[in-house]
Amino acid sequence: MSRFLDWSGHRWIALPIRFYLGGVFILASLHKIAHPDAFALDVATYNILPLFLINIMAICLPWLEVVCGALMIAGVKSRASAWLISGMMVMFLVALFVALSNGLDMSCGCFASSSMASEDTISKMTALRDLGWLVLGVYVLIFDHRPVGLESLIYKRRK
Amino acid sequence: MSESFSTMKKSIIEAGVIAVTVFLTSLGINLVHPSRIPYIADAPYETMVPCPVQEGHVTPANPTAFATTSKHVLFVDAREKGDYDKWHYPGALLLTYDFLDPIPESELRIMAQRIAALRATKVVVYGDGDDPDTGKLLGIDISASGINNVYFVRGGAAALEEAVASQNRGAQ
Repeated sequence: MSRFLDWSGHRWIALPIRFYLGGVFILASLHKIAHPDAFALDVATYNILPLFLINIMAICLPWLEVVCGALMIAGVKSRASAWLISGMMVMFLVALFVALSNGLDMSCGCFASSSMASEDTISKMTALRDLGWLVLGVYVLIFDHRPVGLESLIYKRRK
Repeated sequence: MSESFSTMKKSIIEAGVIAVTVFLTSLGINLVHPSRIPYIADAPYETMVPCPVQEGHVTPANPTAFATTSKHVLFVDAREKGDYDKWHYPGALLLTYDFLDPIPESELRIMAQRIAALRATKVVVYGDGDDPDTGKLLGIDISASGINNVYFVRGGAAALEEAVASQNRGAQ
């Protein structure tokens, strides 16, 4: 088990995963950062958070997504980013399951506001997609011990 | 193993530091954001989320089809009480269709009891026969509530009354 965990091939498998996950998170954050008011409405539509937390979530979450995405791609603090990305995915999945169990027929609001992306309706497929991203995040978290990227490059130069 | 645990612990701490830094920075950025929003919403958001509409299935039926075969059939009258009092199919249950409100639970319970008592295999609804026909609309609602084999009479109460009268004349 330990040999499998320490296998050096993981860092090369994790590299495209990190690029993919990072790209997804940066892409998902752009519209939310540009239109926090629309994203706040999306958060409110899930009907989970108390009113005093909705705007704070709408302001902070997109920036966390973009920073985590950028760190993932750059290979800087990628395990910490993987923690945060996995945590966010768990949070999104819980919200999604609550919305689905309440029978809400609404847009996911993942990549654009519900008012602009009516085709992105939540479904079991959305949950499956998010679950896939969670698995990728957890892979990076567990197996990518020595991530290929800026951090390892700087570390090598210092040596 | 202990090294792995310590790096894991380190990455959790780093994740916490990143999260706190990003949260505080984003709260600051919001102050100069062109579309900034208040940190705490001053009024609840007006969210209009349509719940999936339960589509009921109702089968159209000619008035003559049910004019005499009332065995194991529950007739439901969707019209107003005044119209029901003037004429209704013998034994028909009055359940006035409401365009705005769903069928009350109590009425559904009464219907279920009548279905059980009659051992009804079909529910035939008739309404005003207008367009839209309240009989058809009520039939859809009844079907959506989980009751199967729901029919509505084409032409409504007037057509059914005529069919019943015609059948009676024929029998005499």
